[in-house]
Amino acid sequence: MKKNIKTQILCHILLIAGLIVVVLPMLYMISTSLKPNGALYEFPPRFFPDLDEITLENYQYILSQKKFYINFLNSIFVSVSSVLLTALIASAMGFVIARFNFPGKKFLFAFIVLTMIVPGMTLIVPQYELAVKLNAINSLAALIPFYVAWTIAYSTFMIKGFVENIPKELDEAIYMDGGSVFTVFRHAILPLAKPGIASVSIFNFLTAWEEFPWANTVINDDLKRTLPIAISGFFGQHQFTQWGYVFALSVFSLVPILLVFIFCQKFFVAGLASGSVKG
Amino acid sequence: MKLTGKRKIQIGVLLLPGILVFAIFTCYPIIKLFIMSFFEWNYGSILDQNFIGLQNYINVFSDEYFRTAFVNTIIYTLVTVPGQMILGLLVALLLNQVTRLKVTYRVLYYLPVITSWVVASLIFKYVFNTEGMLNYFLTDIIHLTSENIRWLDTRWGGLCIAMFLGIWKGIGWNMIVFLAALQTVPTEYYEAASIDGASSVKKFFHVTLPCIKGNILFALVMLTIGGFNVYTSVKMITNGEPGHQTDMILTWMYHKAFNTGDFGYSAALSFVTAVVLAILAVIQFRLMQNKDN
Amino acid sequence: MKKRALQAILISMILGTTVISGCAQSGNGSNNSEDKQVTINFWHNYSAQSAENEILTNDLIPQFEKEHPNIKVNAVSHEWADLHQKILISAQSDTLPDVARLDIAWIPEFQTSDILVPLDQEMTDFEDVSGQLLENAMDTATIGDHTYGLALNTNTKILFYNKAAFEDAGLNAPVTMDDFINAAETLSGENANGQAVWGYNEPALGGWNLCPFIWSMGGSITNEDETQSSGYINSPETIQAIETLKQLYDAGAITGWNSGDIPMTDGFGTGRYMMLLEGPWKIEELKGAYPDFEYEMCEMPAGSGGSVSVLGGEDIAMFKGAQQEAAWEFMKFMTGAYAQEKMAEAGQIPVNTEALDSQTVQNAPFAPFLEAIKTAQSRPTVSCWSEMDSELSVAVTAVMNGEKTAQEAMDELAAQFDELLQS
Repeated sequence: MKKNIKTQILCHILLIAGLIVVVLPMLYMISTSLKPNGALYEFPPRFFPDLDEITLENYQYILSQKKFYINFLNSIFVSVSSVLLTALIASAMGFVIARFNFPGKKFLFAFIVLTMIVPGMTLIVPQYELAVKLNAINSLAALIPFYVAWTIAYSTFMIKGFVENIPKELDEAIYMDGGSVFTVFRHAILPLAKPGIASVSIFNFLTAWEEFPWANTVINDDLKRTLPIAISGFFGQHQFTQWGYVFALSVFSLVPILLVFIFCQKFFVAGLASGSVKG
Repeated sequence: MKLTGKRKIQIGVLLLPGILVFAIFTCYPIIKLFIMSFFEWNYGSILDQNFIGLQNYINVFSDEYFRTAFVNTIIYTLVTVPGQMILGLLVALLLNQVTRLKVTYRVLYYLPVITSWVVASLIFKYVFNTEGMLNYFLTDIIHLTSENIRWLDTRWGGLCIAMFLGIWKGIGWNMIVFLAALQTVPTEYYEAASIDGASSVKKFFHVTLPCIKGNILFALVMLTIGGFNVYTSVKMITNGEPGHQTDMILTWMYHKAFNTGDFGYSAALSFVTAVVLAILAVIQFRLMQNKDN
Repeated sequence: MKKRALQAILISMILGTTVISGCAQSGNGSNNSEDKQVTINFWHNYSAQSAENEILTNDLIPQFEKEHPNIKVNAVSHEWADLHQKILISAQSDTLPDVARLDIAWIPEFQTSDILVPLDQEMTDFEDVSGQLLENAMDTATIGDHTYGLALNTNTKILFYNKAAFEDAGLNAPVTMDDFINAAETLSGENANGQAVWGYNEPALGGWNLCPFIWSMGGSITNEDETQSSGYINSPETIQAIETLKQLYDAGAITGWNSGDIPMTDGFGTGRYMMLLEGPWKIEELKGAYPDFEYEMCEMPAGSGGSVSVLGGEDIAMFKGAQQEAAWEFMKFMTGAYAQEKMAEAGQIPVNTEALDSQTVQNAPFAPFLEAIKTAQSRPTVSCWSEMDSELSVAVTAVMNGEKTAQEAMDELAAQFDELLQS
């Protein structure tokens, strides 16, 4: 199909106009992180620091603090573990719900949809009570099951949609060869639903990576904090905030999620295309 | 498919972890939430709670701070959900037209989505500071106003910034959802419409929209839930100031639970919110189905 | 191939972090036997970016651990408001730290919640330790017959003002409330760059912020016995104090509590706020952030009630369930001459008599604060103070934004306070 050059140009202009609004705040964050701290309330305020003024002192400070490395690793640990667990548990459930009839299936599915609707945070009070009972307060590892519980409904719902798109004949063939339900799950469903699972997992990674209220409530120690808590704790309200430090740390927090997104982009669009509507 | 005994066990094994997670971390809290909402459950009475019937609910509904927070949340949802859907769809339509730089645009538009709420809120707080860059730009460079606008200091100002942040952060997600949806619209439909001499606008309303209705519903439901879930941005930007006027349902709930220790009140509040959302979701599904017929 | 590598990285990351967090955790066990390592948790509100925190983590704790090789200290910094919340939450879940630095205004509340250890009962050498600390500072930790903490530092707020701005305007240090109002109005407006400047900054509207004005203008929060608020929080004097602030706010002469305002230190250091009422720590903070900025200090301006500032300070206290021996050692260390002298360098006024006599403290610019402490008052020492404090701030915010008159707001508040005080 031939596309009109004029339309093309118009589209680019509009897209770039939108991009300015979208990207400007991010650029401002980066430029602030490159300014010396004294220049933050300068007059006139400037969007970009002068070239000779650009400094890495904020980054050097962040990198010199051992605890931020640990906060960073804490976030990686919690996010990766909860994503992997959710992917495994949700794809098993999604597969079973999509393929088999079993007593209570309707109820289970209705419950999954219901929990998708209820915002996770409305349960924070009883979940806090539960965490107290399970001795999970101030424990980094104990964040994981709660994150799994928050993401599992949505993930199961999506993965069930992906599984339904996989032709049943494949399952049948494996059963004919004497395969078990596990064989089907491992050798037919998991490989074929992978793009879908990956796209759901990217969302789950983001959810866990940036989660704030729960971690802020149950984690006490400096060295057990995840990055969002470290960043917010670093920001003093009415005292003076060294925005340069805050934003330098923020930039670091963006790197892993950016890498995940760029590397998994392909799955992302494909997964959403096949999954979202069919649920 | 008939289930043999062996398969039953295997299915059970696959379901078990999921059901356990649901039972312990979701079911139990939901039931607990319901129970807590009928008790005087606070710092002072953590060990012996008194059953107080509907008192917590009465307290919630007669609380003017809750009403403000509720109205704020409704406004937030009513503005940000259509806002980000329309803008996201617009970007997706534009992206679908261009042949070059597609991936670059997609990544850049997606940047706000992957920026954490904490970071995004801090950026907005910094940008919209009364003495910040934006006001300097508006007053001293383009002379739009003569006086600095106090973005964050009033109820409506604070809400507007929170809503702006919500839309800013949501466009990318909607763009991806709709981009994926647009790829499922068969090109023959457009070609047929072109032969009938339909304009682009007509094509959009008569071909595109009906084809992606499912995705719109999906986005609508997810975003409504997201709208009610607003917490971190308001917590970081205004923290409910001035005088709890910019509190949202969840920031108020959190404040009552963890700052004043009134867990019973917060449980009742959470339960009301969950019920309202469930009803909203059902209505949304129904509305969409009706349009179908 | 690539995938394998990615997997390997992920797995090693998980393992790596498990090991690290495992290590961080390992000390926390409630293992109390004597020759074993003990880790005590210490929560404080020295803010993360402050000089106090630097000294604590890089000097005091290493020193303490050297002196007590079997005790490790895990210090955690919380924001002031967060610390209060975290302690209340943790009390419910039995996850309280061993020791915490507590605002003196919180002691009655936590004592009522029954989470503090009565030190005079439990510690045999309590008298020896408390004898080295200022008596009136120790009073802040005493409720009824028992003492629930050791005084850690004391402070009050005095007026900081921009030297150059006052000289240019031909103003002297404000002595009376009228001088203060006049200075705030004169110095507000616009600077040479056309930016707004304010005569005075007040970063919040809680008791810590309002009390100096209420008291100095002859008002009060409650009666002497702290059992009734009607007739005090809504007395003509109190209302006049609130109205004065409101008029100054309307005139653009004061600001600071709004979400969009410039933070206090930055605004003062860059010449946007001309006056502040702040504590001794501000000296060090300004030295670090705005080393070239010149300012002067003077007492809280006097009104009809005299010059009355608010008594601040922190106690260090032990929670029930703490590893008492180790915690007590740490408390003794923190209130000892060495730690007190070190903290004085960061602007914390010592309460240890030996440290007060030391050269460091004599050279520190504490004199005006020590003078002001003599007339400073403490906020109501009632267990419901936190609640009253937050109600006060909501009510005065409504006055400032013109939603209620000072009279209306304070009348409502009086009724609320009475209810809180009587329950």
